[in-house]
Amino acid sequence: MSTQESNFQRFVEVGRVVLLKAGPHSGHIAVIAEIIDHNRAIVDGPTTGVPRQSFPYRHLTLTPLKVKALPRNAGSGTVKKYVEKEEIVAKWDSSSWAKKRAAVEKRRTLNDFERFQVMIHKKGRRDRVRKLLKSSKA
Amino acid sequence: MARSKELVHGVGRLSRSQVFARRALYKGQKKGETPKAAEPAPTKEVTVGGEKNGGKRLVPTSKASRFYPAEDVPQPKKSRKTANPTKLRSSITPGTVLILLAGRFRGKRVVFVKQLESGLLLVTGPFKVNGVPLRRVNQAYVIATSTKVDLGDYKVDEKFTDAYFAKGAKKAARSAEEEFFSEGKPKEKEAFPESKSADQKEIDKAILASIKKTEHLAKYLKASWGLSKGEYPHQLSF
Amino acid sequence: MGSLTEYQVVGRHIPTEHEPTPKIYRMRIFAVNDVVAKSRFWYFLRKLKKVKKANGEIIGVNVIHEKKPLKVKNFGIWIRYDSRSGTHNMYKEFRELSRADAVKSLYQDMAARHRARFRSIHILRVVEIAKAEEVRRPYIKQLLQPKLRFPLPHRVTKARSTFVAHRPVTF
Repeated sequence: MSTQESNFQRFVEVGRVVLLKAGPHSGHIAVIAEIIDHNRAIVDGPTTGVPRQSFPYRHLTLTPLKVKALPRNAGSGTVKKYVEKEEIVAKWDSSSWAKKRAAVEKRRTLNDFERFQVMIHKKGRRDRVRKLLKSSKA
Repeated sequence: MARSKELVHGVGRLSRSQVFARRALYKGQKKGETPKAAEPAPTKEVTVGGEKNGGKRLVPTSKASRFYPAEDVPQPKKSRKTANPTKLRSSITPGTVLILLAGRFRGKRVVFVKQLESGLLLVTGPFKVNGVPLRRVNQAYVIATSTKVDLGDYKVDEKFTDAYFAKGAKKAARSAEEEFFSEGKPKEKEAFPESKSADQKEIDKAILASIKKTEHLAKYLKASWGLSKGEYPHQLSF
Repeated sequence: MGSLTEYQVVGRHIPTEHEPTPKIYRMRIFAVNDVVAKSRFWYFLRKLKKVKKANGEIIGVNVIHEKKPLKVKNFGIWIRYDSRSGTHNMYKEFRELSRADAVKSLYQDMAARHRARFRSIHILRVVEIAKAEEVRRPYIKQLLQPKLRFPLPHRVTKARSTFVAHRPVTF
């Protein structure tokens, strides 16, 4: 199966980094430690606060990241060692996907005054762009 | 009570009087020591005219009614309940920026000054920034934001009470004739009392000084608040 | 039917003059709660021995917990099942985290494929298959390949709104 060429980029496989989309650890990343069947896998995130548990694929998203050479059914300690060695969390945090998620989260938690300040800054930016555009056209 | 261990839910081992005795509650009991006001004498002496009447007579002080009431008058039940003082929401402290949700100034962002005796909140615009005067509002019609204006150790004058905001007694009604002819004419406006505008300035002075220290804060207070498409107040954090 | 629990139920015939020390019987029973577990105990004991609830007593009911609830195991389950036309024996395999989970999904599977109810299924034996070679069924074998991987095709991402201009892209 692995020798065959595939049009897909991301696979359910041991070592795949996934983003949890539901439950108390929603929004955290974890690593697939063992595949249970076509619907569930055991995920583990010792560095991201996700306890080892069975998780349905329906409620997670596959990311492009992968922990290479992670042995099948590795314990939490081994997973932690591999994740830290390959700096998975740092790689995830520097991805544009994670950055965008963080930005959306940040915007959502702004208070009323901070939202107002964002509005003022956006207005200022629009104004500068407009003026520059006008002067460049002329 | 620990002494009266529960046998089953709601039923203690000891009776009420046993608990009373064991907890020595009699020690804290109030003794009726305050002397009661002297009761008025049930009768009084009255001098009576007429020879055969003996000159003086004992008469009850309050005369009993000559009739029994024809119908029973229901006595309203006495209630021992009293209204508790209004609690101030924990998110509101002096200097908190509030969003007014009802009334003439709905949508305005104002600064909270203090809570009055009646539980209403004393707020100010400040008047110079957004035109909201010193005003009382109910905290139910207000969103408390997490933004605070630092009031420092500014002491609010004691004279700002509910009485300060009460409307003065109406002047004597005008004569009917005068009223008839004044119909349609614009009513004369009463001048805003000088002392009140001075009070307004006095309070706003301290608030304005600290508003100036934060960038955009004056602009923020001047702008009014509203919801746009796809914004839901329960999903926003203030 | 909620999630199942594995119980150990122990019981015996009430001691009599004729038999002062009756034999003690022990069963591992999968049931939703201990009430059902005790009931199933009497149901099976009645079929196997000359003891019934009226002349017997339950000595103890314990919950059997899974030793390693986070280890994926392959279970083989032997069952006896009454279909609409007769009685059959069956062997099925499941890949689960616990014995109770495996039995639970057995009941679900039997309900789906054969419309079989809880009452028409007897669990005979639940065994953890230790070696991968001993797995018999191809639907479990395919999950045991050393470098197993598969994509998740046809994923519908959540749209921002109920009404959007474009159909979702599912690959």
